[in-house]
Amino acid sequence: MNKVLSNKKAIVFFMLPAVLFFLLVILMPVLMSFYYSTLNWDGMGSGTFIGFQNYKKLFVGNVDNFPLSVRNSFLFLLASVFIQIPISLLLAIILSNGVKGENFFRNVYFVPVVLSTVVIGQLWMKIYHPDYGLLNTFLRSIGLSSWAHGWLGDQNTALIATFIPTLWQYTGYHMLLLYAAIKSINPEIFEAAKIDGANRTKIAFRVTIPMILPMLEVSLIFSVIGSLKVFDLVYVLTNGGPAQASEVPSTLMVRTIFMGYQYGYGSAMAVFIIAECVLFTFVVRKIFRALQRD
Amino acid sequence: MNKVLKNVIAGALSASMLFSMAGCSNSGSDTTSGAQSGDQQVTLKLWHIWAADSESSKVPFLKTLDNFQKEHPNIKLDVDATENETFKTKIRTAVAANEAPDIFTYWAGGYMKNFVTAGKLLALDDYLNDGTKDKLLDGTLDNMTFDGKVYGLPHTMDVGTFFVNQELFDKYNIKVPTTYDELVDACKKFRAAGVKTPMAVGGKEAWCIDMYLDILQVRSAGYEACINALSGKGSYEDAGIIDGAKRLQELVKLGAFGDSPMSISRDESEVPFYNGEVPMYFNGSWTIGNVNKSKVKDKIKIVPFPKVGDKSDSTDLTGGVAGTFVVSANTQYKDQAVTCLKYIAQGFAKEAFEAGVSLPAWKLDIDESKVDTLTKQLMDLTNSAKTYTLWWNTYLDGSKSELYMNKSSELFALKITPEQYAKDLQTMNS
Repeated sequence: MNKVLSNKKAIVFFMLPAVLFFLLVILMPVLMSFYYSTLNWDGMGSGTFIGFQNYKKLFVGNVDNFPLSVRNSFLFLLASVFIQIPISLLLAIILSNGVKGENFFRNVYFVPVVLSTVVIGQLWMKIYHPDYGLLNTFLRSIGLSSWAHGWLGDQNTALIATFIPTLWQYTGYHMLLLYAAIKSINPEIFEAAKIDGANRTKIAFRVTIPMILPMLEVSLIFSVIGSLKVFDLVYVLTNGGPAQASEVPSTLMVRTIFMGYQYGYGSAMAVFIIAECVLFTFVVRKIFRALQRD
Repeated sequence: MNKVLKNVIAGALSASMLFSMAGCSNSGSDTTSGAQSGDQQVTLKLWHIWAADSESSKVPFLKTLDNFQKEHPNIKLDVDATENETFKTKIRTAVAANEAPDIFTYWAGGYMKNFVTAGKLLALDDYLNDGTKDKLLDGTLDNMTFDGKVYGLPHTMDVGTFFVNQELFDKYNIKVPTTYDELVDACKKFRAAGVKTPMAVGGKEAWCIDMYLDILQVRSAGYEACINALSGKGSYEDAGIIDGAKRLQELVKLGAFGDSPMSISRDESEVPFYNGEVPMYFNGSWTIGNVNKSKVKDKIKIVPFPKVGDKSDSTDLTGGVAGTFVVSANTQYKDQAVTCLKYIAQGFAKEAFEAGVSLPAWKLDIDESKVDTLTKQLMDLTNSAKTYTLWWNTYLDGSKSELYMNKSSELFALKITPEQYAKDLQTMNS
């Protein structure tokens, strides 16, 4: 084995299929998108090269509210990092502490992850429906009928109303990741902490969380990237409406390309989203490297 | 966890999250080259949009295809149907890759322009002088003509139609509005009487909002001003267009469209109308097909949309000929494809009309006894029509159409002022 591993040629040879595949299906499309983004192209025939004009159009003299959609995705990011992940972490810690019906709860929290997004979208649309929706019916029944309104159709609530199902959908997913990480910690460490007189809170903060930092990092990267390129639920629930109140970059991109026929400009949006994700991944990893050094 | 391994995993996972790809496959078209002659056996691909059973045009169209097959045994049709919105993406991909079917349905105006400039559609002028042109109603080729050449054949006409539920007006003793002021008055009275939604609109879908906005702008500004703005000859910052936009906002503010019109889709907005809970509805004439299937069938009347000023009256309609059949420029069998095109365009016009689905763009021998009441009322309107302003979001192409739909939604949501709205639209013409 060591002989093989010390042979550079063998390494290259064995890596080649996977590397080629990776380049072909991931790097190529990204580079193609970047090339398209420098064109003024309507998807027909050949485009004209315009350099970085499309990128300029995203922010300078913009008429399609792209900056607003970016702002919305940042709000999504904040909500994911500061609301979703803490909830997932809390659930994971509580569950791994051995509550009654641990398996049952674990499965229940995980159900939304397994459901199709379109199904979830339809479900929440029924919850939010202005007339017979669960939410409004509930509000009316407790005498708060003044609060009842079209949640997805009101500019002030549409964005939050699309956040909630998205956060709810993936909370179980992050919980499961963290739960698995906690379960893989050697139980003797906890026993030692208990003997030393640490209470539950202290154990959670001083033992559990530091021990699962690597998994927490993976979870955060998933959730940051997921919120930057969130698409499906927003598309199903509001398609960016009303009047772009819940627009995110990916919904705007799809409409720009497939409805507005601006393939070049839409590709610039795609490249922007990719660049954003790479940058944020890098930032999150930097932060965790610093944390782990402490 | 081993640190190197961990980094690799995190990196790989994040990379795989980053790039999700949509693959698209296209079925290769089998092309057999050969000399063209009238009696050889050929197969033509035909794509259309009437896929779902809820599409009232589906049955008449399939009947037309059957008739064609019986009369032309030498031309075999390979038919494929795709739902409307999906079709828009699918056909563009196919056309861009030169994989377009020989014949397909499309939309006139801005939609077509894109294909025509790219040279993807067959010009039909040389084929239309055999009397085909004389069978068409006047002006129906306008939206399919670019630089003096015709690129498609129309089949049916769709008109912005104002439906009122007479029973509800009688019940609350309110007059059916003929002027804008009466319309405002009627909406207020209905609201006061506890009718939640005086006028139905599926505000979640911009084109439903545009139905109302288009007609209000035409009523306020007149046909000329609207067409000039759309074609770039005039300006969107026309006092009449701004006034039309202002009136839409006025109606929104007084609750004419209900309390949260932007949270419901077109289908959801139509349900209460078919149940007889909504007194007024303005949408395309295709709605007739569904009204005739509903329980309010005998209570609904079609009336002209109320007058706003002196610049326009009931002879100005919105809509017109928007749907078309076209032939791909790359077809192997031009003659057979055009033969088929002519047949199905006329045939479908006839079948659809007799089924009460829409009005024909062709001169037909009409058997009055077969026509339902609502279609008759609609024909009274169209027979006296002087102008048709094509739906703005159909007239405009691609990105402009998107801009219009975005801005009309913002206007409807009271997010921008009518002046700002006009200014934003004017960026298209600069």
